[in-house]
Amino acid sequence: MIKKFSLFALTFLTLLLFIQGIGINSQDTKKGEVFLKLKLPKPLFVGTPRNIRSPNLEKITGKMRKPFLVPIGTKILSLGKPVSASDMEPIIGEVEFVTDREKSGEEGYYVEFGPGVQYVQIDLKKTYFLHAILIWHYHSQARVYRDVIVQVSDDPDFITNVKTIFNNDHDNSAGLGIGKEKEYIEVNEGRLINPRGVKARYVRLYSRGNTSNDMNHYVEVEVYGTSKK
Amino acid sequence: MKKITALRSLFLLVLLGALLFRLPLLNLRPMHNDEANQAVKFRDLLEKGEYRYDINDHHGPSLYYLTLPFIWISSGTTFASTSEIALRLVLAIFGAGLILLLLLLKGGLNLEAIVFAGLFTAISPAMVYYSRYYIQEMLLVFFILGVLAAGWRYTQNPSPGWAAATGFFVGMAYATKETCIIAFGAIIGALILVWVSQSKRKDKKTSPDLPSIKHLLLFLGTVILASFLLYSSFFQNIRGILDSVLAFGAYFSRAGEAGIHSHPWYYYLKMLAFSKYGTGPVWSEFLILALGFLGGIAAFCAKSKAGFNFLFIRFISFYTLLTVVIFSLIPYKTPWNLLPFYIGFIVLAGHGAVFIIRAYKNLYFRCAIVLVLALGLLHLGVQSYQANFKFYANPNNPYVYAHTSNDFFRLIKRIHELTPYHPDHNQMLIKVITNSDETWPLPWYLRSFGQVGYWQEVDAAGELSDVPIIISSLDKSKQIQSFLQNNYLSEHYGLRPEVLLALHIKKDLWENFMQKQAVR
Repeated sequence: MIKKFSLFALTFLTLLLFIQGIGINSQDTKKGEVFLKLKLPKPLFVGTPRNIRSPNLEKITGKMRKPFLVPIGTKILSLGKPVSASDMEPIIGEVEFVTDREKSGEEGYYVEFGPGVQYVQIDLKKTYFLHAILIWHYHSQARVYRDVIVQVSDDPDFITNVKTIFNNDHDNSAGLGIGKEKEYIEVNEGRLINPRGVKARYVRLYSRGNTSNDMNHYVEVEVYGTSKK
Repeated sequence: MKKITALRSLFLLVLLGALLFRLPLLNLRPMHNDEANQAVKFRDLLEKGEYRYDINDHHGPSLYYLTLPFIWISSGTTFASTSEIALRLVLAIFGAGLILLLLLLKGGLNLEAIVFAGLFTAISPAMVYYSRYYIQEMLLVFFILGVLAAGWRYTQNPSPGWAAATGFFVGMAYATKETCIIAFGAIIGALILVWVSQSKRKDKKTSPDLPSIKHLLLFLGTVILASFLLYSSFFQNIRGILDSVLAFGAYFSRAGEAGIHSHPWYYYLKMLAFSKYGTGPVWSEFLILALGFLGGIAAFCAKSKAGFNFLFIRFISFYTLLTVVIFSLIPYKTPWNLLPFYIGFIVLAGHGAVFIIRAYKNLYFRCAIVLVLALGLLHLGVQSYQANFKFYANPNNPYVYAHTSNDFFRLIKRIHELTPYHPDHNQMLIKVITNSDETWPLPWYLRSFGQVGYWQEVDAAGELSDVPIIISSLDKSKQIQSFLQNNYLSEHYGLRPEVLLALHIKKDLWENFMQKQAVR
């Protein structure tokens, strides 16, 4: 009796394992192929990470930018020049902060615009040959601004004669075309863009939020150039 | 009779309000590092029916076992189909359940005070915020209040049922988090202090009798039954019971060596009284602190009348004082650890609110007090809304602690956008190469992907040149780039304030995705 029962139990278990085995295989099989199951390491459990609230003014790259060569006679053109924006009523600060030459990373020195694609535009008041543009979005914290696009033009409405001199919108989410430049992390030395002597009166800078929040910020924008080539 | 009906109706409204603050949009906030840790720990229990108490991390088992029915009902039995909503719902229900437990304090507090305490529990930003957070804290507070409430009922009606209920809550608190030992110590300390303060008085009629041996055994039996069942994983891991005791060694050591979580003694009280960070709003639960303080003082100035018991309120005062002191003196501090003492403040604040209203006989003064309280409650409600539905992951919110940025959602969204364009779909290989504190909550959000590996060093991660998606810490990106050359496109996403992750996407996958986007 016991022997019979043992045999029955063994057969039942074998069948059960077989059926389960088929089940596993069929679940993993797709159109005659099987997914290669790799033995991958599991994540390690860790405790609560550090809470960071204070601003970090240290550079992320660890290296200073190399000196940048410009033609003799190049001067700052943007200082105190009029600034307009896609939103003339910023959430924090004033649009004039963009060209006031104050580049501090502290509170009270930046202008904050709402989420989505936003731009600021500087009117240089005259047409110049542009040799360098420096942008400080927000450098008190390690963050990346998305869809940074810099365009120049002679047309204040940016309809005609528009030249794009920087674009890192790799997926065209801002709708101004796909850019080839890479994303970068904000640091206190700002981001230098080389306009390669392009001739323009207006400079427009776009962004679409950042890795810390959906807002768009500018501490300062500096445009350097010459009146003669 | 009419007054009681009105108070009961008000109480139901308070309960409804608590649910309204706790239940909506439970998936709004990205999962915190710790929430994801807890969720992934729950995975083995859900899918394999296995649980092993971890002596060094994760705390007690009650959270996982109490999560099971919620997941079975809402999501089934696979981890991939679970959701933040289903997990956080557990805490939201227990967070609102605190209000029901307050009813058991009847006699210790009068009904008006219970309604006020319920109101404070319902709308306190801290209580709401951590009722929507998948960690043990709100469960612990629920069981501690259960101990206080069932213990109080036992003193009023020394029946076997209340002895067993008290034991059950003690056992469940023990099976929830190791810091319950602080609350237990404070409860014993408060009982001794009440007994000492009462022994000096001539009128000792109000002192409760000591429990009988039979009730004491019943109490201990339920403590052991509840806690041992869970720690032993329902007798699958008997060692878990011993480990639950040995764990105190690890936790005492951690409390002393606070490291990155070391904060000054006034951290919790300052956080509750006044917080202002960056350009964010001012946060304050000062109303509850002040009324709690007043309620505690009032218990030492008056005798029992009008439905409350001054000995009970003194006991809660001593409990609150002791827990505040102990938690404040421990260098290791995280904001959710304030809850076990804050519930004491809330109970006292209920009594304080009634006391201050009744203290003024003049109708105008009384109306003025009621108006101030109403404005204070409105302020709490507004803050609660802001903390939970507006600044829910913003570091300017004091209850947001090392939280995952909203931008992290975009990283996950991008991976899901790319998935249909890889021939293996959600079986495509994803390699995560991050520093240890930059891995979470990725394992939670990548739970539906079958081939995800986690490494802390680039060299250990093996061949990288043909991996469709690599996620890395920023400081490892440079080393990774040397392997990837120009075959990958990199994007950056915020993990937490100051912490970024790089997403490296193989170019053929990216181009395939972009082509389809252009066609659309």
